Amino acid sequence: MSNPKHDKGEHYLTTPKAEPFLERLIFNNRAGILIFFLFVTAFLGYNAVKIQPDASFERMIPLEHPYIVNMLEHRDDLQNLGNFVRIAVEAKEGDIFTAEYMETLKQITDEVFYLNGVDRSGLKSLWTSNVRWVEVTEQGFQGGTVIPDSYDGSEVSLEQLRQNVLRSNEVGRLIADNFQSTIVYAPLYETNPETGEPLDYGTFSRELEEKIREKYEGQNPNIDIHIVGFAKKVGDLIEGIGSIAYFAAITIGLTTLLLFWYSRCLTGTLVPILTSIVAVFWQLGTLRLLGYGLDPYSVLVPFLVFAIGISHGVQIVNAMAVEAAKGFDSVTAARLAFRALYIPGMLALISDAFGFLTLFFIEIDVIRDLAIAAGIGVAFVIITNLVMHVLIMSYLGISKGGVRHVQNRGEKQDRKWRTLSYFSHPSVAPISLLIAVIGLGLGLYYKQDLKIGDLDRGAPELRPDSRYNQDNAFIIDNYSTSADVLVVMVKTPKEECTQYDVLRAMDSLQWELQNTPGVQSSASLADVSKIVTKALNEGNWKWFEISRNQTIINASIRNAPSGLINTDCSLTPVLVFLEDHKAETLETVVERVAEFSGKTSNEQHTFLLAAGNAGVEAATNEVISSAKDKMLIMVYGVVSLLCLLTFRSIRAVLCIVVPLGLTSILCEAIMAVSGIGIKVATLPVIALGVGIGVDYGIYIYSKLEKFLLEGKTLQDAYFETLKSTGKAVVFTGVTLGLGVVTWIFSPIKFQADMGFLLFFMFLWNMVGAIWLLPALARFLLRPDRMLAKARAAK
Amino acid sequence: MATSLMCKSLGAACLGLSMACASPVALALADVIETPARATDLAPENLLTDVDRAGDRMVAIGERGHIIFSDDQGQSWTQAEVPVSVTLTSLDFASETHGWAVGHSGVVLHSDDAGESWEVQITGIEAAELAIESQEEAIAEMEEKVEAATGDEKADLEWALDDLYFALENMQADLDIGPVNPFLDVLFLSEQNGFVIGAYGMLFHTSDGGETWSDWSPKLDNSQNFHLNAITEITGGALAIVGEAGQIHVSVDGGQSWERREGPYPGSLFGVIGTGRINEILAFGLRGTLMLSTDLGRSWSMITSGTTATLTDGFSEDDRIVLVGTNGAVLVSGNGGETFRSYIRGDRLGVMSAMPASGMDLLLVGEGGAELTDAKGKNLK
Repeated sequence: MSNPKHDKGEHYLTTPKAEPFLERLIFNNRAGILIFFLFVTAFLGYNAVKIQPDASFERMIPLEHPYIVNMLEHRDDLQNLGNFVRIAVEAKEGDIFTAEYMETLKQITDEVFYLNGVDRSGLKSLWTSNVRWVEVTEQGFQGGTVIPDSYDGSEVSLEQLRQNVLRSNEVGRLIADNFQSTIVYAPLYETNPETGEPLDYGTFSRELEEKIREKYEGQNPNIDIHIVGFAKKVGDLIEGIGSIAYFAAITIGLTTLLLFWYSRCLTGTLVPILTSIVAVFWQLGTLRLLGYGLDPYSVLVPFLVFAIGISHGVQIVNAMAVEAAKGFDSVTAARLAFRALYIPGMLALISDAFGFLTLFFIEIDVIRDLAIAAGIGVAFVIITNLVMHVLIMSYLGISKGGVRHVQNRGEKQDRKWRTLSYFSHPSVAPISLLIAVIGLGLGLYYKQDLKIGDLDRGAPELRPDSRYNQDNAFIIDNYSTSADVLVVMVKTPKEECTQYDVLRAMDSLQWELQNTPGVQSSASLADVSKIVTKALNEGNWKWFEISRNQTIINASIRNAPSGLINTDCSLTPVLVFLEDHKAETLETVVERVAEFSGKTSNEQHTFLLAAGNAGVEAATNEVISSAKDKMLIMVYGVVSLLCLLTFRSIRAVLCIVVPLGLTSILCEAIMAVSGIGIKVATLPVIALGVGIGVDYGIYIYSKLEKFLLEGKTLQDAYFETLKSTGKAVVFTGVTLGLGVVTWIFSPIKFQADMGFLLFFMFLWNMVGAIWLLPALARFLLRPDRMLAKARAAK
Repeated sequence: MATSLMCKSLGAACLGLSMACASPVALALADVIETPARATDLAPENLLTDVDRAGDRMVAIGERGHIIFSDDQGQSWTQAEVPVSVTLTSLDFASETHGWAVGHSGVVLHSDDAGESWEVQITGIEAAELAIESQEEAIAEMEEKVEAATGDEKADLEWALDDLYFALENMQADLDIGPVNPFLDVLFLSEQNGFVIGAYGMLFHTSDGGETWSDWSPKLDNSQNFHLNAITEITGGALAIVGEAGQIHVSVDGGQSWERREGPYPGSLFGVIGTGRINEILAFGLRGTLMLSTDLGRSWSMITSGTTATLTDGFSEDDRIVLVGTNGAVLVSGNGGETFRSYIRGDRLGVMSAMPASGMDLLLVGEGGAELTDAKGKNLK
């Protein structure tokens, strides 16, 4: 059991005696390496600037989940089912039956018609000829366009219009129940059929704002425009990515102030900021070269990289100031700082990276991208902040003010750390543990309410009070429609999707679902068939049934909406409209469908889950809930293993990991209380929080062990630990917290959730390391035995 | 393979799916006439097509085999046990306990406990077999006639015979598909004596409470097999049937023989009721058409309905007559049908039938389920 590295009570990590090879290599070629870095920075920086926002739908969903596999397999068949925008034009005063309103609506319809990306043949509004009223007469049907041919804006023609609207069957769909707004419905092309180019959501959404909303709200003060649809939502998300630049500026500003307050040295402030920004440029440039864009998730990684860079840079600045205070010149101070820090620094960064890598177990591309982006970023931080930073500082040196600042912090600081060192005191430690146990109990209690998935109404990606969600709420309140749609795909042999048995089975499924809590309504070819069969029988409701006669069925669905039958009639969807997208709702519905499918699927028809936004969410939830525990086990396993390898003691691992565990549980409790579900955005937070949070424990424990092995009592050792590294740990916690806290103001809801939770985890992990770790050490560590072991090794 | 691996980690929710992607077993849903109506709280809010009284109890029927009853004058409803899940179209109670409901797939249901439980008496299969039987009889008869006839008359009869053959083939083809045609109305004069009518001229009669049925459609002059939509008993004992293409048939001998009447309207008639006065008939249908006859249908006068909505059903009670129809139409007459006032319900949903509730209030059933309203069809509450 001999361990030569624990020689003379020195810790092998913090004070290697020899001048390592790496140090020699780096410091003997200072100018050359810096010039090389300059070129790399220029090249990657150029690429970084050119990186494009990218909110690809596919990367946000679990592509390997069977629901998604089914959905993508049949995507062409389901075309246009989901991709449309609805523009509600509201009359603020009075109702829609005024000449001014109709004129504005007409202009808006024309404008939308010419927007790039709109499938013009499917465009619907009161002013398009495909919106008709129908009436049964002795001769059959009679009908016409809702806006009378003779329309001239006069009272008479407005009255005629009112009559037509009432007969049109569009109330609740195109026309609001209260007659104060109507909808312009515009289906979109995923790819432009003429140019073959994919729809640019960003541009499309901007055009909607400029050419529709701003223009017509300005033109007619009596109207309000509300726009919803997948394309608008994605456009708003892309817009949201742009606003991240402000947060970056704020973060950099705050960090600079903090860093200066900490170091009182201009070079010691600006160089770490600079090198951290360089790390970000390298990371973004590399991402672009690898073919990635910036999605709303990975756009947050630069903040993390920056914060991690700063927190390591500050250690260098701190160490150099200490060495400079001893009288060393700047090159020697830089060498000594590098020598002292490159191993623990790398260890901490590698544990960060492993924390990120556990994200790879979640089968959702954005999360994997996040892991890659963060991994690359952390790898670059090793170079920029451990090497480049030191080299630049070796030229510039620490200012006199900075050195004086280090020399001056004495008595007052000591008193503060002395007080904190009581956390390891035999009579304080049990109290701390009791508080921790109570905290654990409370955490476990509140955590029970933790939900999977998104909980807010409307588009969960955006804030509940965002323009988009307000528009969405407007449309839900005024029209018979739901924003949460689960699509069950009904697969049949070719040309058989309209058979009686198929329609019958769909109808049964629909009724089963309509009797399921959380389901608002449903729609399918079966409904079309029943309604039209009724209409063909002179509108007599007694005929509201699926006919067994195939000729009648065929007649009834001749004019069915195109999205309901694919080209070779082998697939037809059942649309299930849900009250919300809470995980329980989705689970219940999906379970019912699966049960029904299991009982009734045969060679004639198979019910496949699931498309629609609710289908995607159901799949995502399943992936998330199964990945959650796996990921927690992995991340804690990896972190524990790294600690075990480093400190060779299970007790040490417990001292470091238990506070992290408490933080994780409290984090989940906070999520439950503040209504944040476990979702694509918040699951990575746990891994990031643990991966980065372990740094504090590593720094503190390694010092604590060192001082214990020098023969100090626990409280003295802890006092020395705090004195030497406490400030850096607190500072790291604060910089990391600052790095993410600005996200809270993001217009994108999940970014705000991530910022809030990471802020909590970074800070609380720091508190855990300073407060709980020593208390645990009081109970777990046996300083005499550790000493004996070290002596025996000697 | 990949799917089943995935399923293992995803649990029960995708069990059904994996079964679906694996070898499909020859499972299928039972036919609608063999599938009991699902117990549901939604029945009173979904499509209801007719309502009747069994003593003090209100009973209503609707889509998916829904039959619901209320013992508190329509305040609350209980769902009955029904062995089929077809859309039911019409209901008639002959007494406080015995009632019949008919519907799609040629289903005739019977209850002997005031509507709490129901059993199938016949389905469209038996109905079609009966119709084929009488068609074959008609053909046999015609063949004899053709045999006996000569010259021009023979040629005409041969044409007629061909028509009968053609119709028979159609019937058999329909039967191969299954019970395709719906019954649209039912009338029981007593617990034994009843009629059901329906699509393509179906008319069946029973004189033993539905144990056995016979095809009485040949007694009607309806060679084109137009739909028969409604049947009723007129004060004084006559029976009246109305249907597609302005058909009106009247019988004064309990249905043994029927006379076709010519009405003033060529479009479809959906409902017929007596006004409560002897031999007075009120018939109505498409586009607000409303007409009154005081002489068992020999002559008619058009009555201004004040609506263009299709009128579907109604009732008369003393001098009050209430008719209902599509687009929320409610028509009320206080003078035995001479004039009507028309009202439009706020929701504009189709109303299929109406019945007096407490006081002058109404119980309406239709597209939006059951609703208690005031005398003008405005929702109480």
